[in-house]
Amino acid sequence: MRGDQHTWRKIKSGAASTASSVAALVVVAPLALVFYHLVVSGIGSINWAFFTNLPKPVGEVGGGMVNAIVGSGELLGLAALIGVPVGVLGGVYLAEYGGARTNSLLRFVADVLNGVPSIIWGVVVYGLVVLRFKSFSALAGGLALGLMMIPLIMRTTEEVLLLVPGGYREAALALGISRWKTIVHIVMKTALKGIVTGILLALARVAGETAPLLFTAFGNRFWNHNLHEPIAALPLQIFTYAISPYDDWHRQAWAGALVLVTMIFVLNALVRFLTRDRAVRIL
Amino acid sequence: MINPASLPNTTMDSAPRISQSRIPEPPETLLPQAAPAFKVKQLSLWYGEKQAIKNVTIDIPEKMVTAIIGPSGCGKSTFLRCLNRMHELVPRTRIEGEVLFDGENLYGPGVDPTIIRRRIGMIFQKSNPFPTMSIADNVLVGLRLNGVRKRQILNERLEKSLRMSALWDEVKDDLGKPGMSLSGGQQQRLCIARAIAVEPEVVLMDEPASALDPLATMKIEELIRELCVDYTIIIVTHNMQQAGRCSDRTAFFFMGQLIEFDQTERLFSNPKEKKTEDYITGRFG
Amino acid sequence: MLLPRHILQEFDAALDSLRADVLMMASLTDRNLQNAMRCLLDRDANMCAVTIADEEEIDALEKKVDADGINILLRYQPVASDLRQVISAMKVSSNLERIADQAVKIAERARTLAMGPGLDDAIALGPMFVETITLFRDSVRAYADADVALARTLRPRDREIDEMNRHIARDLTGSMSKNPDGIEDYLHLLFIARYLERVGDHAKNIGEDAVYAAEAEDIRHLKNAFTV
Repeated sequence: MRGDQHTWRKIKSGAASTASSVAALVVVAPLALVFYHLVVSGIGSINWAFFTNLPKPVGEVGGGMVNAIVGSGELLGLAALIGVPVGVLGGVYLAEYGGARTNSLLRFVADVLNGVPSIIWGVVVYGLVVLRFKSFSALAGGLALGLMMIPLIMRTTEEVLLLVPGGYREAALALGISRWKTIVHIVMKTALKGIVTGILLALARVAGETAPLLFTAFGNRFWNHNLHEPIAALPLQIFTYAISPYDDWHRQAWAGALVLVTMIFVLNALVRFLTRDRAVRIL
Repeated sequence: MINPASLPNTTMDSAPRISQSRIPEPPETLLPQAAPAFKVKQLSLWYGEKQAIKNVTIDIPEKMVTAIIGPSGCGKSTFLRCLNRMHELVPRTRIEGEVLFDGENLYGPGVDPTIIRRRIGMIFQKSNPFPTMSIADNVLVGLRLNGVRKRQILNERLEKSLRMSALWDEVKDDLGKPGMSLSGGQQQRLCIARAIAVEPEVVLMDEPASALDPLATMKIEELIRELCVDYTIIIVTHNMQQAGRCSDRTAFFFMGQLIEFDQTERLFSNPKEKKTEDYITGRFG
Repeated sequence: MLLPRHILQEFDAALDSLRADVLMMASLTDRNLQNAMRCLLDRDANMCAVTIADEEEIDALEKKVDADGINILLRYQPVASDLRQVISAMKVSSNLERIADQAVKIAERARTLAMGPGLDDAIALGPMFVETITLFRDSVRAYADADVALARTLRPRDREIDEMNRHIARDLTGSMSKNPDGIEDYLHLLFIARYLERVGDHAKNIGEDAVYAAEAEDIRHLKNAFTV
C-alpha cells in the first residue's frame, strides 16, 4: 500500500511541476515573441542615418528619428524636474510626518491616481496649459508626464523610507540632531538607493507613454527650439509612422519601437544592477 | 572613606599599621552629598489612557553610575527616556511633573528638546551605527550635522572619543571602513564614541549590553566605570549582577513606581523594602 | 520567618539543605557536649570514646556545609537575606566544629581523670557545664528561629561563664597548693574549665552570626551590643 501512495504522490508532484513550467512558458512566450518580432522587423532599419537624421518627407529615403529620441530625453528631463521633487518630498511627508488619517487619505488618492488612464493626464494638461497658452508645447508634455510620475514616486519613496529601521532615527535624534536634518542626512541617505530605484522605475514607466503626449507635446517633424513649441517624442513618432500608409515609415516605426523597448530595457537593467545584493547595504 | 595616608604620623612609626585597616567607614551622613545631575519631582507619564510612570521623585547624583532595575514593564526604560525627552517620539504621551537638569526644567515652556539631547546623550539596546557611514563619519556625525567644520577639531574629537570608548587601538587603521563591518560589541562601543563625541554631560544607556556576548559585555561594563569619571551615567538593566558590578547607586522600579533608591551595596545586601528584597532574591512570581 | 519561595526551586532546596546540615551539626554537637559532661561527672569512660568518635561526623558535615555554601554562591549569586543566610551558615558550622572539638578535648581529659581516683572538685564544674550547654542551646535556637532578642542576651551570659571560669581556676589553684600530689588531675580540671569557657565564646559567636543573618547588623567586637 505504501508503495502505491508513494507513486501516486510522485505523479501528483510531477504533474504540478509540469503545469507550473507550462504556465511560466505561457507568460514568457508572448514577451519573447514580441521582442523577436521587433528585432526582426526593426533591426534592418537601424543604421546611423536613423540616429542622426531628421524625418524626411514622404518618399525620400534616409529619414531618421533623432529629434524624437532627443525629444523623448528632453521630455523625460522635464518630467523628472517636476515629478521628482514633489514625489520625493511627498513621500517624505507620508513616511515621516502627517497624521494617520491624513496619510491614509493621501495614500488612497495616490493609489487612485496611479491607476488613472494616462490619457486623462493628457486631457487635463491640455485643458490647463495648452488651451491657455494656445499652443502645444514641450512644457505641457513634460508636465503631463511629470504629473504621472508624482504619485508613483511618492509611494515608492514612502515605502522605502518606512523600511529604514526606527533605531537610526532614534540614534540621530538622541545626538541632538534636528528632525529635518535627521530625515535628510540619515534616513534619506540610508534609503537613497531605494529612492533612486523608484525614480528610475517611474521614468521607465512614463518613457513609453504615448497618450498623454498626443495633445500636449503633439510631436514635431523638426527640432524643437524652445519649450513653448511642440516637440517630437519617440512613442508619438512611432504612432504617427505606424498608422501611415507608407512602407518606409513603417520600417522606421519598427526601428523606433525597437529603440524604445531597448531604452526601457536598459533602464530596468540599470535598476536591477543598482539594487543587487551587496553585503552591508540596507536597500 | 578615610585615607590612611592622611592620618597624622604617630611617634611609634615602627609599630605595624595593622589597626588602620580596621578603621570603620564614617556613616553616610558625614560624606559630602553628591550634587544631583537630575532632580525629578513627581513625574508621571501616560501613554494614552495608561499611566506608565506614577509620581516618581528622585535625585540622581552626577558623575556617578546610577542603575535602574525592575521587572519588565515596570517603566524603567520609559523613565530613562523622560530624562532626555525621547519619549516624545511616541505619539499621545502626556507628562506631568518636573525634571530639573542643571536647575532648569526640561519640560518648561520654550525648551528645545534638540538642545537638551546634545547635553544628554543616549545609547540603545541594539547598537545602530549608521549604515551608510564609515567609522569616522559615524563618530563625527553629531558634530558635523551641528555645524562643526574645522578639520582639526574633528580629528581631535574623533581620536578622543574612540580612545575613551576603548576602540581606538582596534580601529585606528580602518577609520574609513563602514561602521557596520565591526563586531556587535565593537559597534556598541562605536555608538558610545558617537554619543560622547558631542561632549554631553550625561549618557543614558538603555540595556546597552543585553544584546552582547559575555566578553563584550564585560568590556562595556569596564567602559562604563571609566566613563563615569567624566560623565553622569544612568543605565537601565534587567541584569541585576550587572547593576551590582557597574553602579554606585541603584533604583528599583516596580509597576511605574520608584520603590527604593540607595547605594548599590546597601540595596543589594540589605534592602529596606520587602518588594526590593523579593525582586532581587528572585522571589517574584 | 517564612519568606515566599524562590522562583528557582533548586535554589530553595539548596538553601534548605544547607540549613538542615547546620542544624544537624548543632544537634550532634549538643549530644557531644552532653556526652562529655557525662564522661566527666559520671566518670563514664565509654562516653568519652563515643564523644571522640562522633567528632568525625561533625567534621565531615563542616566540610559539606562549606562546599555546599560555596556552590550556592557560585551557582545562584545570592543577594540580601539569601547571601547572609549562606555566609552565616558557613560561619556557624565553623563555630560548631570548634565546639565539638572542645567537647572532644574535654572527653579526652575526663577519660584520663576517670581512670584515676575520683576528684571531688570535679563536681564543681557541673554548674559551669550546665550553664555552657544552656548557652549553646540558646545560641542554636537563636540561629534556627532568627530570634534576635535571644541572640543579644548571649554576650552577657558568656561573660558570666568567663567569670565562672576565673572563679573555678582560683579555687583549683588553691586546692592545688594544698594538695600537691593531685596536681596533674587539678590541671586536667583547669583545662576542662578553660575548654568550657571557649565553648561559651563560640556560642556567643553563633549568636552574633544569627543577628547578622536576620538583620544585617554586625554586632561583633562592640562593647555595648546588647539591649535588654
